[in-house]
Amino acid sequence: MVSPTLVLLLAFLVIPAFYVGWLSFTTSTYGRESTFVGLANYAQLFGDRIFWRAFWNTFFLVNAIVYVEVALGLGLAVLLSAPMRGKALIIAVILAPYAITESSGIVMWRYMFEPDVGMVSQLVGRAGLPQLEWSTQPVATLFLAGTIAVWHHLPFTFLILYAALTTVPKDVLEASRIDGASDWQQFRLITLRLIMPAILIAVLFRYIFAIRTFAEVWLLTEGGPARLSEVLAIYLYREVFKYHQFGVAAATGWVMLLMSLGIAIPYLRRMYVEVRRGA
Amino acid sequence: MARRAGQRIVRIALVALALAWSAFPIALVVLSSFKPPSEIFAVPPTFVFTPTLDNYAVLWREYPGFFRALASSLMVAVGTTLLAIAASTLAGYVYARHRNRFLSGTAFGLLAARMLPPIIITVPLFPVLNALRLNDTHTLLILLYAAFYVSLGTWIMRAFVAKLPVELEEAAAVDGAGLIAILWRVVLPLVVPGIVAVAIFVVVFAWNEYVFALIFTTRNAKTAPVVIGEMLGTVEGVQWGVIFAAATVQLVPVLALVTALQRYLVAGLTAGAVKS
Repeated sequence: MVSPTLVLLLAFLVIPAFYVGWLSFTTSTYGRESTFVGLANYAQLFGDRIFWRAFWNTFFLVNAIVYVEVALGLGLAVLLSAPMRGKALIIAVILAPYAITESSGIVMWRYMFEPDVGMVSQLVGRAGLPQLEWSTQPVATLFLAGTIAVWHHLPFTFLILYAALTTVPKDVLEASRIDGASDWQQFRLITLRLIMPAILIAVLFRYIFAIRTFAEVWLLTEGGPARLSEVLAIYLYREVFKYHQFGVAAATGWVMLLMSLGIAIPYLRRMYVEVRRGA
Repeated sequence: MARRAGQRIVRIALVALALAWSAFPIALVVLSSFKPPSEIFAVPPTFVFTPTLDNYAVLWREYPGFFRALASSLMVAVGTTLLAIAASTLAGYVYARHRNRFLSGTAFGLLAARMLPPIIITVPLFPVLNALRLNDTHTLLILLYAAFYVSLGTWIMRAFVAKLPVELEEAAAVDGAGLIAILWRVVLPLVVPGIVAVAIFVVVFAWNEYVFALIFTTRNAKTAPVVIGEMLGTVEGVQWGVIFAAATVQLVPVLALVTALQRYLVAGLTAGAVKS
């Protein structure tokens, strides 16, 4: 009865993922036998300035997304944990971006930020500020891509933290109030500590998912100009589908996989213990 | 008292800001899909205008491919959901009710598999799928999407089954019901909330997924998000109004679904991610 699940996972995720590891030690492209080349693909990858550009772009983008989003999600969860009228409706609106496909999300944000004529571009232009030159400046591209990513995924982070906040026992908070704790002390010393596991899980999941960022950058500039705004997923995509360098692409994939697993190790270790205990 | 009132105003302002941040981009595009093309980039922007269905008419006339893609998306979303629910419910039941070394090993494997970045599998899978002639088929997208979501699905269903009293199943077994009858008549009706929770995650993902549809479909199985991306990628003269119409048509059903079933999202997240 577990076999459908396991077969799907093995066939489409686990086996291909490890096969990528093997491929990263071979050279292959269309119409040629693959040959074992040892670490040559990694040497080529690590010698490629465009790879390092994509690596550092991903690094900064991912960290910005994760911490901005978790901070906003936490603030929003605290804000909405107070009783208020129409809360179900408010939460429904906040969840809305979760339902939007990535390509439509980019349509929406590009419409606002289209040079000169977009609503936000007009607004900052009138205020005498420089426009966000997202189509030509890589930093601006990544800034807009990160903003869109946070917009898309904030509902997820918010929900995890909001669900955790609802489990903080009221009597503990009341007791601390009687003991004379201020709002800030209450938040910092009690609430924050009780929901810390949920915060860590939100951070971890956002890292894992942000490393995969593709569509936001792809649909803004396809990683341009001159491949300066590429992220790792786009670098891999180009190596496979444009340059047919399967070995180098596999090495890129293995780098992404190791980054993801590296970040996930603390979580996986804890879950391993719980699963073994039969929790 | 003044401090209380001040806090209240700040709180209302922050909630308003959060609502605007979430809803404004969506509302803007939905509203603008009813604007005549000349007003879409009006300087300054217009908020009062005579609504027109011109953009929808152009979409219907000039982009039959979009509606084919929408049908593709629907097939893929329904197929993925059925497959993922069937696989997750069966596996979730086993993980909730049985315990041995193989099961705890694979349960951990399910979790670990979620950490793999799926894009890396395109490298080895692309040539294999070409050879199997699975490229550009609905079947392939259904299998892939289900594979990405069975781990979360199984984990959610396991939590929902574990909450049921095992005595119900035992009583049915004493009455002579076989395993299939127990699953179908006793367990299934009671885990419907879990199934809805899994379904909503899977539907939203399969209906909206972009990267894998971009990579693995070219014509027959192309989905709506890919077509919207293509419309945006036109080098000369993006037809904004028409894209807005397409985006609106694509988002309305799934937005309605998420809004109607939001409490299942919370239940699913709690069962699948936060707790073990």
